[in-house]
Amino acid sequence: MSFVEKVCVLGAGSTKYGKLADSIGDITTQASVAAIDSAGIDPKEIKAAYISNVFGVADKQVHLGPVLMSNLGISDKPSLSIESACGSGSVAFREAFANVAAGFYDCLIVSGVEKVTHTGTDWTTTYFAYCSDFFYEGQAGASFPGLFASMARAYLTEFDATEEDFAKVAVKNHQNGLLNPKAHLQKDITIDDVMSSAVVASPLKLYDCCPFSDGASSVVLCSEKFAKAHGGDYVEVTGSGRGGSPAALQGREHMTTIPSTKLAAEAAYKMAGITAKDVDFAEVHDCFTIAEVVDTEDLGFFGKGEGIQAIREDRTKLNSDISINPSGGLKSKGHPIGATGVGQVVEVYDQLTGNAGARTVKDAKIGLTHNFGATGASCAVHVFQSV
Amino acid sequence: MSVKEQFIENAKDGKILTHKCTSCQHLHLSNVYYCEKCGSKGFEDSILDGVGSVATYTIITVAPAGFQKYTPYAFVVVKLDGTDLRISGFMGGITTPADLPVGTRAKITGFDERGIIVEKQ
Repeated sequence: MSFVEKVCVLGAGSTKYGKLADSIGDITTQASVAAIDSAGIDPKEIKAAYISNVFGVADKQVHLGPVLMSNLGISDKPSLSIESACGSGSVAFREAFANVAAGFYDCLIVSGVEKVTHTGTDWTTTYFAYCSDFFYEGQAGASFPGLFASMARAYLTEFDATEEDFAKVAVKNHQNGLLNPKAHLQKDITIDDVMSSAVVASPLKLYDCCPFSDGASSVVLCSEKFAKAHGGDYVEVTGSGRGGSPAALQGREHMTTIPSTKLAAEAAYKMAGITAKDVDFAEVHDCFTIAEVVDTEDLGFFGKGEGIQAIREDRTKLNSDISINPSGGLKSKGHPIGATGVGQVVEVYDQLTGNAGARTVKDAKIGLTHNFGATGASCAVHVFQSV
Repeated sequence: MSVKEQFIENAKDGKILTHKCTSCQHLHLSNVYYCEKCGSKGFEDSILDGVGSVATYTIITVAPAGFQKYTPYAFVVVKLDGTDLRISGFMGGITTPADLPVGTRAKITGFDERGIIVEKQ
Protein backbone atom coordinates (compact mmCIF):
# COMPACT_ATOMS: atom_id res chain seq x y z
CA MET A 1 0.00 0.00 0.00
CA SER A 2 1.41 3.38 -0.90
CA PHE A 3 0.23 6.79 0.17
CA VAL A 4 0.52 10.21 -1.35
CA GLU A 5 1.17 11.87 2.00
CA LYS A 6 2.56 10.98 5.41
CA VAL A 7 -0.03 11.77 8.08
CA CYS A 8 0.59 13.60 11.36
CA VAL A 9 -1.32 14.64 14.46
CA LEU A 10 -0.63 18.36 14.86
CA GLY A 11 -2.82 19.17 17.83
CA ALA A 12 -5.06 17.53 20.40
CA GLY A 13 -7.56 18.50 23.08
CA SER A 14 -10.16 17.03 25.40
CA THR A 15 -12.76 18.15 27.85
CA LYS A 16 -12.66 16.54 31.24
CA TYR A 17 -14.47 13.19 31.15
CA GLY A 18 -17.28 12.65 33.65
CA LYS A 19 -20.72 14.10 34.22
CA LEU A 20 -20.75 17.33 32.23
CA ALA A 21 -23.39 20.06 32.33
CA ASP A 22 -22.82 21.62 28.90
CA SER A 23 -24.60 20.36 25.78
CA ILE A 24 -23.17 17.84 23.35
CA GLY A 25 -22.57 20.61 20.80
CA ASP A 26 -20.82 22.78 23.35
CA ILE A 27 -18.44 20.11 24.61
CA THR A 28 -17.59 19.07 21.03
CA THR A 29 -16.69 22.69 20.35
CA GLN A 30 -14.67 23.04 23.57
CA ALA A 31 -12.50 20.01 22.73
CA SER A 32 -12.09 21.20 19.15
CA VAL A 33 -11.03 24.70 20.16
CA ALA A 34 -8.45 23.11 22.48
CA ALA A 35 -7.15 20.95 19.62
CA ILE A 36 -6.97 23.89 17.20
CA ASP A 37 -5.15 26.02 19.78
CA SER A 38 -2.80 23.12 20.49
CA ALA A 39 -2.04 22.87 16.76
CA GLY A 40 -1.51 26.62 16.53
CA ILE A 41 -3.49 26.93 13.31
CA ASP A 42 -6.20 29.21 12.00
CA PRO A 43 -9.48 27.22 11.91
CA LYS A 44 -9.95 28.34 8.31
CA GLU A 45 -7.09 25.98 7.40
CA ILE A 46 -9.29 23.01 8.37
CA LYS A 47 -10.80 21.52 5.21
CA ALA A 48 -13.32 19.09 6.74
CA ALA A 49 -14.44 17.41 9.96
CA TYR A 50 -15.04 13.79 10.94
CA ILE A 51 -17.41 13.49 13.88
CA SER A 52 -17.77 10.33 15.96
CA ASN A 53 -20.88 10.01 18.07
CA VAL A 54 -23.35 7.27 18.91
CA PHE A 55 -26.25 8.62 20.96
CA GLY A 56 -26.59 12.26 19.92
CA VAL A 57 -30.32 11.72 19.99
CA ALA A 58 -30.09 11.34 23.80
CA ASP A 59 -29.01 15.01 24.04
CA LYS A 60 -31.36 16.15 21.28
CA GLN A 61 -28.62 16.80 18.74
CA VAL A 62 -27.72 14.70 15.74
CA HIS A 63 -26.03 16.09 12.60
CA LEU A 64 -23.38 17.51 14.88
CA GLY A 65 -20.87 18.36 12.17
CA PRO A 66 -22.50 21.54 10.90
CA VAL A 67 -23.05 22.70 14.49
CA LEU A 68 -19.34 22.31 15.22
CA MET A 69 -18.28 23.94 11.97
CA SER A 70 -20.61 26.89 12.55
CA ASN A 71 -19.22 27.32 16.06
CA LEU A 72 -15.68 27.29 14.64
CA GLY A 73 -16.57 29.98 12.09
CA ILE A 74 -16.11 27.63 9.13
CA SER A 75 -19.71 26.71 8.30
CA ASP A 76 -18.81 26.35 4.63
CA LYS A 77 -16.62 23.30 5.35
CA PRO A 78 -18.00 19.74 4.99
CA SER A 79 -18.40 17.27 7.82
CA LEU A 80 -19.35 13.64 8.24
CA SER A 81 -20.70 11.78 11.28
CA ILE A 82 -19.55 8.22 11.91
CA GLU A 83 -21.09 5.63 14.24
CA SER A 84 -19.38 2.37 15.12
CA ALA A 85 -20.60 1.96 18.70
CA CYS A 86 -17.77 2.33 21.24
CA GLY A 87 -15.25 2.19 18.40
CA SER A 88 -16.64 5.25 16.61
CA GLY A 89 -13.71 7.47 17.53
CA SER A 90 -10.98 5.28 16.07
CA VAL A 91 -13.07 4.54 12.99
CA ALA A 92 -13.57 8.27 12.37
CA PHE A 93 -9.84 8.78 12.92
CA ARG A 94 -9.10 6.03 10.41
CA GLU A 95 -11.33 7.64 7.76
CA ALA A 96 -9.68 10.99 8.36
CA PHE A 97 -6.25 9.33 8.15
CA ALA A 98 -7.16 7.74 4.81
CA ASN A 99 -8.31 11.06 3.37
CA VAL A 100 -5.13 12.88 4.36
CA ALA A 101 -2.94 9.97 3.22
CA ALA A 102 -4.70 9.97 -0.15
CA GLY A 103 -4.12 13.68 -0.58
CA PHE A 104 -7.79 14.71 -0.59
CA TYR A 105 -7.32 17.08 2.32
CA ASP A 106 -4.15 18.50 3.91
CA CYS A 107 -5.76 19.37 7.27
CA LEU A 108 -8.78 17.91 9.05
CA ILE A 109 -10.31 17.84 12.48
CA VAL A 110 -11.60 14.64 14.09
CA SER A 111 -14.00 15.20 16.98
CA GLY A 112 -15.50 12.48 19.14
CA VAL A 113 -18.22 13.11 21.69
CA GLU A 114 -20.82 11.48 23.91
CA LYS A 115 -23.37 12.95 26.32
CA VAL A 116 -25.44 10.29 28.08
CA THR A 117 -25.10 10.45 31.86
CA HIS A 118 -28.24 12.58 32.24
CA THR A 119 -30.32 9.62 31.00
CA GLY A 120 -29.47 7.51 34.08
CA THR A 121 -28.01 4.02 34.46
CA ASP A 122 -31.11 2.10 33.33
CA TRP A 123 -31.51 3.97 30.05
CA THR A 124 -27.81 4.15 29.32
CA THR A 125 -27.59 0.37 29.86
CA THR A 126 -30.55 0.00 27.49
CA TYR A 127 -29.15 2.32 24.80
CA PHE A 128 -25.77 0.59 24.91
CA ALA A 129 -27.46 -2.81 24.47
CA TYR A 130 -28.61 -1.54 21.06
CA CYS A 131 -24.96 -1.82 19.99
CA SER A 132 -25.14 -5.62 20.29
CA ASP A 133 -26.51 -7.97 17.62
CA PHE A 134 -29.91 -7.11 19.03
CA PHE A 135 -31.97 -10.06 17.79
CA TYR A 136 -29.71 -12.58 19.53
CA GLU A 137 -28.28 -10.52 22.40
CA GLY A 138 -30.01 -7.29 23.48
CA GLN A 139 -33.44 -8.80 22.87
CA ALA A 140 -32.54 -11.69 25.21
CA GLY A 141 -31.61 -9.32 28.03
CA ALA A 142 -27.87 -9.15 27.40
CA SER A 143 -26.32 -5.92 28.67
CA PHE A 144 -22.79 -4.95 27.67
CA PRO A 145 -21.44 -5.87 31.08
CA GLY A 146 -23.24 -9.18 30.51
CA LEU A 147 -21.57 -9.82 27.17
CA PHE A 148 -18.10 -9.11 28.54
CA ALA A 149 -18.96 -11.11 31.65
CA SER A 150 -19.64 -14.02 29.30
CA MET A 151 -16.12 -13.57 27.92
CA ALA A 152 -14.78 -13.37 31.48
CA ARG A 153 -16.56 -16.59 32.45
CA ALA A 154 -15.01 -18.31 29.43
CA TYR A 155 -11.55 -16.95 30.35
CA LEU A 156 -11.89 -18.14 33.96
CA THR A 157 -12.92 -21.58 32.66
CA GLU A 158 -10.17 -21.85 30.05
CA PHE A 159 -7.15 -20.34 31.80
CA ASP A 160 -5.52 -20.13 35.22
CA ALA A 161 -7.19 -16.88 36.22
CA THR A 162 -9.20 -15.55 39.15
CA GLU A 163 -11.63 -12.70 39.69
CA GLU A 164 -8.96 -11.08 41.88
CA ASP A 165 -6.65 -11.02 38.84
CA PHE A 166 -9.28 -9.10 36.87
CA ALA A 167 -9.65 -6.72 39.82
CA LYS A 168 -5.94 -5.92 39.56
CA VAL A 169 -6.53 -4.39 36.12
CA ALA A 170 -8.98 -1.94 37.67
CA VAL A 171 -6.58 -1.09 40.51
CA LYS A 172 -3.74 -0.39 38.03
CA ASN A 173 -5.84 1.81 35.78
CA HIS A 174 -7.21 3.79 38.70
CA GLN A 175 -3.63 4.43 39.83
CA ASN A 176 -2.83 5.82 36.38
CA GLY A 177 -6.04 7.83 36.33
CA LEU A 178 -5.07 9.52 39.58
CA LEU A 179 -2.27 11.15 37.55
CA ASN A 180 -4.67 12.36 34.85
CA PRO A 181 -6.52 15.58 35.76
CA LYS A 182 -9.13 14.90 33.06
CA ALA A 183 -10.01 11.39 34.29
CA HIS A 184 -13.59 10.68 35.32
CA LEU A 185 -12.88 8.38 38.30
CA GLN A 186 -9.94 9.81 40.22
CA LYS A 187 -10.05 7.40 43.08
CA ASP A 188 -7.46 5.04 44.51
CA ILE A 189 -9.03 1.61 44.87
CA THR A 190 -7.92 -1.77 46.23
CA ILE A 191 -8.57 -5.32 45.11
CA ASP A 192 -10.93 -5.64 48.08
CA ASP A 193 -12.87 -2.59 46.88
CA VAL A 194 -13.38 -4.26 43.51
CA MET A 195 -14.25 -7.66 44.99
CA SER A 196 -16.77 -6.19 47.41
CA SER A 197 -18.48 -3.92 44.88
CA ALA A 198 -21.94 -4.88 43.67
CA VAL A 199 -22.22 -7.60 41.03
CA VAL A 200 -23.41 -6.12 37.73
CA ALA A 201 -23.18 -9.25 35.60
CA SER A 202 -21.41 -12.21 37.17
CA PRO A 203 -18.42 -12.51 37.35
CA LEU A 204 -18.03 -8.75 36.71
CA LYS A 205 -18.59 -6.34 39.55
CA LEU A 206 -19.16 -2.60 39.46
CA TYR A 207 -15.45 -1.77 39.70
CA ASP A 208 -14.66 -4.19 36.86
CA CYS A 209 -16.74 -1.88 34.65
CA CYS A 210 -15.83 1.46 33.12
CA PRO A 211 -18.21 4.29 33.99
CA PHE A 212 -20.78 5.87 31.72
CA SER A 213 -19.17 9.22 30.89
CA ASP A 214 -19.78 12.44 29.05
CA GLY A 215 -16.86 13.98 27.23
CA ALA A 216 -15.37 15.17 23.98
CA SER A 217 -11.94 14.82 22.38
CA SER A 218 -10.57 16.31 19.17
CA VAL A 219 -7.39 16.06 17.15
CA VAL A 220 -6.06 18.01 14.19
CA LEU A 221 -4.75 15.65 11.53
CA CYS A 222 -2.65 16.87 8.62
CA SER A 223 -0.08 15.98 6.00
CA GLU A 224 3.59 16.01 6.98
CA LYS A 225 4.13 18.93 4.60
CA PHE A 226 1.41 20.91 6.36
CA ALA A 227 2.85 20.04 9.79
CA LYS A 228 6.38 21.08 8.84
CA ALA A 229 5.14 24.33 7.28
CA HIS A 230 3.32 25.25 10.48
CA GLY A 231 6.01 24.27 12.94
CA GLY A 232 5.14 23.14 16.43
CA ASP A 233 4.99 19.67 17.90
CA TYR A 234 3.51 16.82 15.93
CA VAL A 235 3.60 13.03 15.89
CA GLU A 236 3.46 10.79 12.84
CA VAL A 237 0.73 8.20 12.29
CA THR A 238 2.81 5.30 10.98
CA GLY A 239 0.25 2.50 11.03
CA SER A 240 -3.51 2.16 10.62
CA GLY A 241 -5.39 -1.12 10.66
CA ARG A 242 -8.99 -2.25 10.82
CA GLY A 243 -10.72 -5.54 11.32
CA GLY A 244 -14.10 -7.12 11.91
CA SER A 245 -15.54 -9.95 14.01
CA PRO A 246 -18.93 -11.71 14.01
CA ALA A 247 -21.47 -9.22 15.39
CA ALA A 248 -22.67 -11.63 18.09
CA LEU A 249 -20.52 -13.50 20.59
CA GLN A 250 -22.24 -16.72 19.53
CA GLY A 251 -20.60 -16.36 16.11
CA ARG A 252 -17.12 -16.81 17.57
CA GLU A 253 -15.46 -20.14 18.03
CA HIS A 254 -13.38 -18.76 20.90
CA MET A 255 -14.91 -16.41 23.47
CA THR A 256 -11.54 -15.35 24.92
CA THR A 257 -10.20 -13.58 21.87
CA ILE A 258 -11.44 -10.77 19.65
CA PRO A 259 -10.68 -11.54 16.00
CA SER A 260 -11.00 -7.92 14.83
CA THR A 261 -8.23 -6.83 17.21
CA LYS A 262 -5.83 -9.36 15.74
CA LEU A 263 -6.67 -8.32 12.17
CA ALA A 264 -6.42 -4.60 12.91
CA ALA A 265 -3.14 -5.01 14.81
CA GLU A 266 -1.59 -7.14 12.10
CA ALA A 267 -2.45 -4.52 9.47
CA ALA A 268 -1.25 -1.60 11.61
CA TYR A 269 2.04 -3.30 12.54
CA LYS A 270 2.68 -4.18 8.91
CA MET A 271 2.05 -0.62 7.74
CA ALA A 272 4.28 0.78 10.49
CA GLY A 273 6.98 -1.82 9.85
CA ILE A 274 7.09 -2.86 13.49
CA THR A 275 6.11 -5.75 15.75
CA ALA A 276 4.30 -5.72 19.07
CA LYS A 277 7.69 -5.78 20.84
CA ASP A 278 8.49 -2.30 19.50
CA VAL A 279 5.51 -0.63 21.18
CA ASP A 280 6.47 1.45 24.25
CA PHE A 281 2.95 2.08 25.52
CA ALA A 282 -0.63 1.42 24.47
CA GLU A 283 -4.04 2.87 25.09
CA VAL A 284 -6.28 -0.21 24.82
CA HIS A 285 -10.04 -0.70 25.01
CA ASP A 286 -10.56 -1.69 28.67
CA CYS A 287 -14.32 -1.18 28.85
CA PHE A 288 -14.21 -4.03 31.38
CA THR A 289 -11.23 -5.53 33.18
CA ILE A 290 -11.49 -8.76 31.15
CA ALA A 291 -11.25 -6.70 27.96
CA GLU A 292 -7.81 -5.32 28.82
CA VAL A 293 -6.48 -8.82 29.47
CA VAL A 294 -7.85 -10.10 26.15
CA ASP A 295 -6.66 -6.96 24.30
CA THR A 296 -3.06 -7.29 25.47
CA GLU A 297 -3.00 -10.87 24.22
CA ASP A 298 -4.70 -10.15 20.88
CA LEU A 299 -2.37 -7.20 20.27
CA GLY A 300 0.57 -9.59 20.65
CA PHE A 301 2.06 -8.13 23.84
CA PHE A 302 1.52 -11.46 25.60
CA GLY A 303 0.68 -15.01 24.55
CA LYS A 304 -2.84 -16.43 24.77
CA GLY A 305 -3.74 -16.95 28.40
CA GLU A 306 -0.60 -15.09 29.55
CA GLY A 307 -2.11 -11.61 29.80
CA ILE A 308 -3.43 -12.47 33.23
CA GLN A 309 0.03 -13.51 34.42
CA ALA A 310 1.39 -10.16 33.20
CA ILE A 311 -1.22 -8.37 35.30
CA ARG A 312 -0.34 -10.48 38.33
CA GLU A 313 3.33 -9.61 37.91
CA ASP A 314 2.73 -5.85 37.43
CA ARG A 315 4.26 -5.97 33.97
CA THR A 316 1.71 -3.54 32.50
CA LYS A 317 1.94 -0.81 35.12
CA LEU A 318 3.18 2.66 34.21
CA ASN A 319 6.87 2.44 33.24
CA SER A 320 7.11 -1.33 33.62
CA ASP A 321 7.60 -3.79 30.70
CA ILE A 322 4.91 -2.08 28.64
CA SER A 323 2.75 0.73 29.98
CA ILE A 324 -0.87 -0.18 29.30
CA ASN A 325 -3.40 2.64 29.57
CA PRO A 326 -1.20 5.33 31.10
CA SER A 327 -4.20 7.70 30.83
CA GLY A 328 -6.21 5.51 33.20
CA GLY A 329 -7.98 3.88 30.28
CA LEU A 330 -11.71 3.65 29.86
CA LYS A 331 -11.85 2.20 33.38
CA SER A 332 -10.63 5.34 35.15
CA LYS A 333 -10.35 8.10 32.55
CA GLY A 334 -13.90 7.25 31.52
CA HIS A 335 -15.74 6.08 28.42
CA PRO A 336 -17.78 8.68 26.55
CA ILE A 337 -18.21 6.14 23.81
CA GLY A 338 -18.05 8.38 20.73
CA ALA A 339 -15.05 10.24 22.17
CA THR A 340 -13.00 7.33 23.47
CA GLY A 341 -11.10 6.41 20.30
CA VAL A 342 -10.17 10.04 19.67
CA GLY A 343 -9.29 10.55 23.35
CA GLN A 344 -6.78 7.71 23.08
CA VAL A 345 -5.04 9.65 20.29
CA VAL A 346 -5.04 12.76 22.49
CA GLU A 347 -3.19 10.73 25.17
CA VAL A 348 -0.65 9.42 22.66
CA TYR A 349 -0.08 12.94 21.32
CA ASP A 350 0.43 14.26 24.86
CA GLN A 351 2.79 11.39 25.71
CA LEU A 352 4.93 11.72 22.58
CA THR A 353 5.14 15.52 22.75
CA GLY A 354 6.13 15.66 26.42
CA ASN A 355 2.81 16.92 27.76
CA ALA A 356 1.68 13.96 29.88
CA GLY A 357 2.95 15.28 33.20
CA ALA A 358 3.22 12.80 36.08
CA ARG A 359 1.98 9.89 33.97
CA THR A 360 4.70 10.27 31.32
CA VAL A 361 5.97 7.01 29.86
CA LYS A 362 9.74 7.46 30.02
CA ASP A 363 11.68 7.53 26.74
CA ALA A 364 8.60 6.54 24.76
CA LYS A 365 8.95 6.71 20.97
CA ILE A 366 6.13 4.46 19.74
CA GLY A 367 2.56 4.53 21.05
CA LEU A 368 -0.45 2.47 20.01
CA THR A 369 -4.20 3.01 20.23
CA HIS A 370 -6.72 0.15 20.21
CA ASN A 371 -10.44 0.82 20.23
CA PHE A 372 -13.36 -1.40 19.32
CA GLY A 373 -17.12 -1.27 18.93
CA ALA A 374 -19.50 -3.54 20.86
CA THR A 375 -17.78 -6.80 21.85
CA GLY A 376 -15.12 -6.13 19.24
CA ALA A 377 -17.35 -6.55 16.21
CA SER A 378 -15.42 -3.64 14.71
CA CYS A 379 -11.94 -2.51 15.64
CA ALA A 380 -9.22 -0.03 14.68
CA VAL A 381 -5.58 0.01 15.75
CA HIS A 382 -3.21 2.90 15.10
CA VAL A 383 0.53 3.25 15.61
CA PHE A 384 2.18 6.59 16.30
CA GLN A 385 5.82 7.61 16.37
CA SER A 386 7.50 10.68 17.79
CA VAL A 387 9.46 12.83 15.33
CA MET B 1 -43.27 -16.14 5.97
CA SER B 2 -39.87 -14.41 6.10
CA VAL B 3 -36.78 -16.34 7.11
CA LYS B 4 -36.76 -14.48 10.44
CA GLU B 5 -40.39 -15.44 11.06
CA GLN B 6 -39.59 -19.06 10.19
CA PHE B 7 -36.65 -18.97 12.62
CA ILE B 8 -38.91 -17.68 15.39
CA GLU B 9 -41.62 -20.26 14.72
CA ASN B 10 -39.02 -23.04 14.86
CA ALA B 11 -37.55 -21.65 18.08
CA LYS B 12 -41.01 -21.74 19.63
CA ASP B 13 -40.95 -25.50 18.94
CA GLY B 14 -37.45 -25.89 20.41
CA LYS B 15 -35.85 -26.12 16.95
CA ILE B 16 -33.16 -24.06 15.26
CA LEU B 17 -33.55 -23.20 11.59
CA THR B 18 -30.14 -23.28 9.90
CA HIS B 19 -28.92 -22.85 6.35
CA LYS B 20 -26.66 -25.51 4.87
CA CYS B 21 -24.53 -24.44 1.90
CA THR B 22 -25.42 -26.61 -1.10
CA SER B 23 -21.87 -26.20 -2.47
CA CYS B 24 -19.69 -26.99 0.56
CA GLN B 25 -22.23 -28.18 3.18
CA HIS B 26 -21.07 -25.55 5.71
CA LEU B 27 -23.79 -24.86 8.26
CA HIS B 28 -24.89 -21.32 9.23
CA LEU B 29 -27.65 -19.77 11.27
CA SER B 30 -30.48 -18.72 8.98
CA ASN B 31 -29.62 -15.01 9.01
CA VAL B 32 -26.67 -15.66 6.66
CA TYR B 33 -27.22 -15.13 2.93
CA TYR B 34 -23.80 -16.04 1.50
CA CYS B 35 -21.67 -18.96 2.65
CA GLU B 36 -18.87 -17.72 4.89
CA LYS B 37 -16.61 -20.50 3.61
CA CYS B 38 -17.15 -20.54 -0.16
CA GLY B 39 -19.31 -17.47 -0.90
CA SER B 40 -22.10 -19.52 -2.47
CA LYS B 41 -25.66 -18.22 -2.26
CA GLY B 42 -27.20 -21.68 -2.50
CA PHE B 43 -28.65 -22.89 0.81
CA GLU B 44 -31.03 -25.56 1.93
CA ASP B 45 -32.94 -25.45 5.20
CA SER B 46 -31.73 -27.74 7.95
CA ILE B 47 -33.78 -27.82 11.13
CA LEU B 48 -31.82 -28.85 14.21
CA ASP B 49 -32.92 -29.89 17.64
CA GLY B 50 -32.15 -26.92 19.90
CA VAL B 51 -30.08 -28.92 22.36
CA GLY B 52 -26.48 -28.58 23.43
CA SER B 53 -24.25 -27.49 26.26
CA VAL B 54 -23.51 -24.12 27.83
CA ALA B 55 -20.35 -22.66 26.26
CA THR B 56 -20.40 -19.58 28.48
CA TYR B 57 -22.88 -17.42 30.34
CA THR B 58 -23.40 -14.55 32.73
CA ILE B 59 -25.89 -13.84 35.48
CA ILE B 60 -27.26 -10.34 35.04
CA THR B 61 -28.29 -8.24 38.03
CA VAL B 62 -28.25 -4.77 36.42
CA ALA B 63 -30.61 -5.24 33.50
CA PRO B 64 -31.68 -3.25 30.43
CA ALA B 65 -35.19 -1.77 30.28
CA GLY B 66 -37.89 -4.43 30.39
CA PHE B 67 -35.71 -7.01 32.09
CA GLN B 68 -35.54 -5.63 35.63
CA LYS B 69 -38.51 -7.79 36.65
CA TYR B 70 -36.58 -10.94 35.69
CA THR B 71 -33.33 -10.28 37.61
CA PRO B 72 -31.29 -12.19 38.34
CA TYR B 73 -31.34 -14.13 35.09
CA ALA B 74 -28.74 -15.68 32.86
CA PHE B 75 -27.71 -14.85 29.32
CA VAL B 76 -26.25 -18.05 27.92
CA VAL B 77 -24.36 -19.13 24.82
CA VAL B 78 -25.17 -22.74 23.92
CA LYS B 79 -23.06 -24.91 21.61
CA LEU B 80 -25.51 -26.98 19.60
CA ASP B 81 -24.92 -30.73 19.59
CA GLY B 82 -23.27 -32.20 16.52
CA THR B 83 -22.40 -28.84 14.95
CA ASP B 84 -19.93 -25.97 15.30
CA LEU B 85 -22.84 -23.56 15.78
CA ARG B 86 -23.57 -21.67 18.96
CA ILE B 87 -26.74 -19.78 19.83
CA SER B 88 -27.46 -17.42 22.70
CA GLY B 89 -30.56 -16.70 24.68
CA PHE B 90 -32.34 -15.93 27.94
CA MET B 91 -32.41 -18.38 30.86
CA GLY B 92 -34.48 -17.62 33.95
CA GLY B 93 -34.15 -19.06 37.43
CA ILE B 94 -30.37 -18.76 37.72
CA THR B 95 -29.04 -16.93 40.76
CA THR B 96 -25.46 -18.10 41.36
CA PRO B 97 -22.66 -19.57 39.21
CA ALA B 98 -23.15 -22.84 41.09
CA ASP B 99 -26.51 -23.11 39.28
CA LEU B 100 -24.93 -23.21 35.85
CA PRO B 101 -21.43 -24.66 35.40
CA VAL B 102 -20.00 -24.27 31.88
CA GLY B 103 -20.90 -27.48 30.06
CA THR B 104 -24.37 -27.77 31.60
CA ARG B 105 -26.82 -29.41 29.20
CA ALA B 106 -29.37 -26.95 27.83
CA LYS B 107 -32.20 -26.74 25.31
CA ILE B 108 -34.11 -24.09 23.40
CA THR B 109 -37.70 -24.06 24.65
CA GLY B 110 -39.34 -21.03 23.11
CA PHE B 111 -39.27 -17.48 21.82
CA ASP B 112 -41.06 -14.49 23.32
CA GLU B 113 -40.40 -10.87 24.29
CA ARG B 114 -37.19 -12.15 25.93
CA GLY B 115 -35.91 -13.47 22.59
CA ILE B 116 -34.73 -17.07 22.42
CA ILE B 117 -35.61 -18.92 25.63
CA VAL B 118 -33.16 -21.51 26.95
CA GLU B 119 -33.66 -23.92 29.83
CA LYS B 120 -31.46 -26.45 31.56
CA GLN B 121 -32.06 -29.87 30.04
